[in-house]
Amino acid sequence: MPSLSIPFERHRLDNGLRVVLAPDRTIPVVATNLWYGVGSRNEPKGKTGFAHLFEHMMFQGSAHVPKNKHFEMIERVGGASNATTWFDRTNYFETVPSHQLELTLWLESDRMGWMLPAMDQEKLDNQRDVVKNEKRQRYDNQPYGDWSERLQRLVYPEDHPYHHTVIGSMEDIEAATLDDVASFFRTFYVPDNAVITLAGDIDPAGALEQVKRYFGDIEPGGPIPSIPGNADVAPLIGRTLRDHVRADVPLPRIIMGFRTPSYASDDFAVAEVARALLGVGRASRLYRRLVRERRVARGVVSYVFPLLSGASMFLVWATGYPDGSPAELEAALSEEIAALADARQSEIDRAIALVETDLVRSMERVADRADLLSMFELYFDDPDRINKELDRLRAVRVEQVRTFTRERLGEENRAVVVFEPESSR
Amino acid sequence: MTTLDRANPPGSGTLRSFDFPAVERRELPSGLDLRVAIMNRLPMVSLNLFLRAGEAALEPQVAGLAVLTADALEGGTRGRDGAELAEALEGIGARVSANGGWEGTSVALSCLAERLPEALSILSEMVLAPAFPPTEVDRAREQQLASIRQRAMDPASLATDTAQARYFDPEVPYARAVDGTVASIEAMTPATMLGFAEANYRPSSSGLVVVGDVDPGEVRAMAAEHLGAWEGAPANRADFTAAPRTRDRTVTLVHRPGAAQSEIRVGHVGAARSIPEYYPLSIANMVLGGMFTSRLNLNLREQNGFTYGVRSRFTFRMQAGPFQISTAVGNDVTAPALEQIMLELGRMAEDGPSSEEVEAARDYAAGVFGLQIETARQVATRVTQLVVYDLPDDHFDRYRDVVRAVTREEATDAASRYIRPDEAQIVVVGDAEVVGEPLRALGLGGVEVVDG
Repeated sequence: MPSLSIPFERHRLDNGLRVVLAPDRTIPVVATNLWYGVGSRNEPKGKTGFAHLFEHMMFQGSAHVPKNKHFEMIERVGGASNATTWFDRTNYFETVPSHQLELTLWLESDRMGWMLPAMDQEKLDNQRDVVKNEKRQRYDNQPYGDWSERLQRLVYPEDHPYHHTVIGSMEDIEAATLDDVASFFRTFYVPDNAVITLAGDIDPAGALEQVKRYFGDIEPGGPIPSIPGNADVAPLIGRTLRDHVRADVPLPRIIMGFRTPSYASDDFAVAEVARALLGVGRASRLYRRLVRERRVARGVVSYVFPLLSGASMFLVWATGYPDGSPAELEAALSEEIAALADARQSEIDRAIALVETDLVRSMERVADRADLLSMFELYFDDPDRINKELDRLRAVRVEQVRTFTRERLGEENRAVVVFEPESSR
Repeated sequence: MTTLDRANPPGSGTLRSFDFPAVERRELPSGLDLRVAIMNRLPMVSLNLFLRAGEAALEPQVAGLAVLTADALEGGTRGRDGAELAEALEGIGARVSANGGWEGTSVALSCLAERLPEALSILSEMVLAPAFPPTEVDRAREQQLASIRQRAMDPASLATDTAQARYFDPEVPYARAVDGTVASIEAMTPATMLGFAEANYRPSSSGLVVVGDVDPGEVRAMAAEHLGAWEGAPANRADFTAAPRTRDRTVTLVHRPGAAQSEIRVGHVGAARSIPEYYPLSIANMVLGGMFTSRLNLNLREQNGFTYGVRSRFTFRMQAGPFQISTAVGNDVTAPALEQIMLELGRMAEDGPSSEEVEAARDYAAGVFGLQIETARQVATRVTQLVVYDLPDDHFDRYRDVVRAVTREEATDAASRYIRPDEAQIVVVGDAEVVGEPLRALGLGGVEVVDG
């Protein structure tokens, strides 16, 4: 069995910025990747969606970079650039031909250090509109687009940081001010709350010098405020909570969420393996039983959200057929989930083989490699986890999957969102 | 350390040259075009079996047959049922997907390189000896029917499907949705699919592309072992030219009461992959709507805040595929957004891109090429294009030089011939009560309202 060995080195600048360097000189491409320790979980009541709006503002220019020049300059050299906001973090990344590395450092350091001088009301108003359009396009005008909002409300109590979605409420977005932008920036966008990873065609010593040169004189921030609300939740939801939605959707869909141990806990690996047994690949239980044999589902999905605060979310969904009954689909799905309590070792072997292929493939692009390294550094202070992922999953024993199924995937820990098509149009 | 000048962007370092992976080409006696490229930074292999069994060669009554047959390949072989097949593949960590498209059917496989011999053996069995058991065919058919129904209710898909039918003459396959209609899919049986596969899954003019940590000699031997006895040429051949439905501009408003926003498509018949102006036209399109910093995106998203994003695209196929601008905008700005789209379309057709814009697009296209050949799957997909479109062997070796040589005059000339605002077919999926009047007031032509 070939084992992965992605080489890297770690450093920390005086201002607290953590640096991971992962050279691979086979292709002259380099990925620059920054993770900031801020996401939607850091938003207090009344400010939901702000972390994501702020991410948009980061592309509106900084002291030395005019509005829109970020994308333009990266595109100009044939690079790719984007950012995403999630519950626990926000990431920013560029992939460029390696002789353009310095450009990415200049752009990223300028907005980490000197974003505020470039902010004005017009830019905020414009990006508020863009975000509102994003919400309309990706959530409101999409069949099932609000599933996550509905599920999170059930799985997490109202004062929990994962109760609200990343996109947030449009009323809150509407209320955002330039002062909010400034204080958010000063609080969270500081070098000691960030990780930068460079992966690909770099000489580590030279690259470290460049990182110091561009980021070294940015002032560190103050203490990061504690996460609003209450992240401590009971391990189980306590019963089955339901949200039955009759909507303009083409097919019935059952979405189930379960509270699961945090990504930071050792038990998370058990959830990942259970998830693979249920829904990864066509020999997985849900595909084999519901899609292939019983033909009650058109498609199935299983996923575990890797979340840090209090509890993660284990997710399973099944999409039915036009004339199928949502109740029957839900019953069938429940049955197959419960049956995982008799999981066999051969199933784990199959799932691990497939996960291994996926894992190796996820190392092919330097951008993906950099993103994983940043995550492991920011979340766990342990970028070497990239080389230990498979061992972590291989260590899961079949008994643990069975226990997990009984303890975590039952009716006393279940949130169900049912989408039922309105009478046909 | 010298003082850092933040006011100006840093200069670049020196471009490191590198080559597209060398592709070893060998035709098997059956006519199967075997191409192998070594990429050995990870112990992986990606493989593509391209079969010239595509939707463009099918009559309308059997529209969707290539797509459905590909979907049903996982249903099993003469030697093992669907569940056993999945166990066999996934037990060795192999991911396989089969997809039918306009030009053909692609069976893609990825696995650890050490598993290639078993994986290729199973893959060959899937393609050469498929069984199409009735229960699996039923499943694939029901799934495809559900997908067709889902598309009709998804505003974005509905807009695209409506627009294709407006661009092309009804006789042209591209006018229809690639996965067929409810009627054509409902009529398909295991026998239809078996007949299609036997007649069209044939080695001549098809290709096997293998990219990864492999030895070309060993791959040749494996291919000969598993695919050597396979022979023949595909029975169905595409035979049409991509005529437009009309040369007059039309506006179609698909009414969806209460829509949260409007999906907009503007386009017409575009160009075939084989046109000599392929590169200049691609550059012109990048400037129009093919990049984040394109004219359309800067106008509609960044200046006006009308949309989350807008793009334009020529889909180059064996025959002329569609040229299309796509976006989604708020109800209240539907007409203003369309007005700006038509304005940008007119500007591009009339004056073409500026020298600076051409230079920026060239730099982007040449630079981004390196990012697009990082993975074995990406390289396999590109090498497959050589087979599909019969491109020269050195196509990707020369790619960056050819792109860099495109001039403003060539791009302007290509834009003026292939972008035709007067022939634009405009489709809006939205609430006619809200957006109907403002659309009419634009004066782009009569607005035909249809139910969504």
